Amino acid sequence: MAGPAVAWYLAVAAFLFGIGALGVLIRRNVLVVLLSLELMLNAGNLALIALARHWHNGAGQVFALAVMAVAASEVCVGLGLVVALNRRDLSLDVDRLSELRG
Amino acid sequence: MTGGSWLCLLAPLGATILITLCGNRIPRVAAAWIATTSCFVAFAGAIWAFLGVHGTSRSGCGFAPLGSAGCKDGEITTAWTWLQSGNFHVGLQLLVDPLSTVMMLIVSGVSALIVLYSIGYMDGDDEERRYFAYMAFFVFSMLLLVEGGNLLLLLAGWGLVGLSSYLLIGFWHERPSAVQAAKKAFVMNAFGDATMALAFFILIAHTHSLSFLDNFVFVGRGGLSSTAVNLVALGLLGGAVAKSAQIPLQTWLPDAMEGPTPVSALIHAATMVTAGVYLIARTHPIFEQARTIELIAAGTGALTLLVAGLIALVQTDIKRVIAYSTMSQIGYMFLGAGVGAYANGMFHLMTHAFFKALLFMAAGIAIHALAGEQDIRQMRGLGRLMPFTKWCFLAGALALVGIPPFSGFFSKDSIVASAAALGTWYGWIFWVCGIAGAFLTGLYTFRLWFLVFPGEPSPFVREHYHDHHGREGAWTMLVPVGILAVLATVGGWLQWSPGWHPFTDWLAPAAQTLAAAEPTNTQEYYTSAATVIAGVIGIVVAWAIYSERTMAVPAMPFWRRTLENKFWFDALYDRIFYAPAVWITNVLRREFEEPVVLQTGTDIGDATLETGGLVRRIQTGLLRTYVLFLAAGAAGVVLAFLIAK
Repeated sequence: MAGPAVAWYLAVAAFLFGIGALGVLIRRNVLVVLLSLELMLNAGNLALIALARHWHNGAGQVFALAVMAVAASEVCVGLGLVVALNRRDLSLDVDRLSELRG
Repeated sequence: MTGGSWLCLLAPLGATILITLCGNRIPRVAAAWIATTSCFVAFAGAIWAFLGVHGTSRSGCGFAPLGSAGCKDGEITTAWTWLQSGNFHVGLQLLVDPLSTVMMLIVSGVSALIVLYSIGYMDGDDEERRYFAYMAFFVFSMLLLVEGGNLLLLLAGWGLVGLSSYLLIGFWHERPSAVQAAKKAFVMNAFGDATMALAFFILIAHTHSLSFLDNFVFVGRGGLSSTAVNLVALGLLGGAVAKSAQIPLQTWLPDAMEGPTPVSALIHAATMVTAGVYLIARTHPIFEQARTIELIAAGTGALTLLVAGLIALVQTDIKRVIAYSTMSQIGYMFLGAGVGAYANGMFHLMTHAFFKALLFMAAGIAIHALAGEQDIRQMRGLGRLMPFTKWCFLAGALALVGIPPFSGFFSKDSIVASAAALGTWYGWIFWVCGIAGAFLTGLYTFRLWFLVFPGEPSPFVREHYHDHHGREGAWTMLVPVGILAVLATVGGWLQWSPGWHPFTDWLAPAAQTLAAAEPTNTQEYYTSAATVIAGVIGIVVAWAIYSERTMAVPAMPFWRRTLENKFWFDALYDRIFYAPAVWITNVLRREFEEPVVLQTGTDIGDATLETGGLVRRIQTGLLRTYVLFLAAGAAGVVLAFLIAK
């Protein structure tokens, strides 16, 4: 089998996931938060595909496709929200969108 | 003849449904005439059934006594099986026999006259349609009671008359006293319904049937142990006593006078309250196997006729005097049916229906003309202004006292004579009660008469009297009263004991008079003489006290108070039933309802609010904290799995 061992792929995936998670937690701009979310999803995809290849099992790749579909729809909704916020001249800062405080 | 019985039963039901469905789309008068017509149709049906039975009885087969082979007692017609459970069937069936046809004739005939009278009496009431729907419904219920072909239908009719009585007593529902009276009547009657239902349960347990024939044959050949048959008879007697307002369940009847006067005439004088007598006559094969209970029924009647007669002496409300007199006369009927002279009891039931409906309706005309005044102390001299009412009332009063040739003479004397025929010590007690009752009847009836009708009109009467277009009342009121006055006069001539007794012969197939209660001719004669003399003495005393005022009303404050408090029955029931029930309810409310039931709800609400207040603080509205919790949670789960591994 050519290429690096599966552990490397998983390491990259974990790294990407960490960046994404930090981005979601730290950044306040809605757009960047969405980007970070995408990053996390793709980190998961990477891990799925790497393991699928490692175990010679196609199921992981199918999952990855499903995740992409979900990601695409999530972006649609998310960007739609961003556009809606923008149209109402609302801030794109997630910390200021806190009307649901109990 | 069965067609007649169905017509008789269904015509008033049809009228009820029609009036109810039409609502206020038809004028009030139309509703009144629908109800009246249906009662006259029912009467026609009753005559049809009567002629049918009459024809059969002359065809040779006749109505052999119940249960004998070959011939049946009357005819049972079944529409369909109404209720089925295992091998227990109850059909929607009617019984047409001499007893039920007599009752059909009385009920439909008298109710037709009284509903006609209501047209004038209720004219202008806001809810006339409802009144006439109820009246027709009552007539249907009462006919179901007397025509029901098995015990279950009889009980159904029994319950329905209780319901319609409740509805009609409380007809003027804006009066709190009427609502109270309606509830009281309903509860007292429900007690009787319950004891009857219990008796039927015993019968079902033993015979698996509620048909008259099965049960009478079974009981008649001694199929029930003496305890069981006594219990059954006691249950039936409980129902009869409650419905007929006999001691100890009598207190509802005087209060029931809160209803409109035609209702008092129809339900609380002529028909429903006499149902107890019909019940004893109908189920006499059971009572004859429980002779002690039957004699208790007679004793109850004897006691009630005295007590009610005494209380009537001090009443001041014209309707209440007549109501107590009704109780007293039903006491006579119970006495007759109880000693075994069923036909005599039924005969008195019939004549009583005539003269008591007459008295109530004549009183109703007076009340109507005086704009609702019912106090007899205000009414002196009414006869000058209302001669027709006066003479009709006099006919009813003489019939009630039993002065020949008015109807009460023929029916009441036979009952008292039957008591004498028993020959035993209690027979003589009953006899003495009957004679004393005749004296009381004369006294209270003519106290009422002398206070209300003769003499110069009192200022109150002059001031408040108003006639109806120059007459004493609307023609719809005067005509029925006139007809009933004639019936009250001649209705007793159906039977001149001991020489001529077609009524007794007619009822013999359905309710044969016991041999022990057949008086000899001598007993008939001296009993008649004694009752008439007692009645006349009563009248003379009433005349001396209330008309000539040559005698003062005896003071006797203790007795006066006792009578005015109706022998303290109401107070007693308040003390032993009502007060403890209220006490228990109050304790339960204070100790259970308020601290436990109500408080639990509040506590649950408070706890939910507090918990919500605590949890609420987590909801910061900051997206990033949510993500942090989410991530931390996920990490926690992963860590937990790793550690567990």
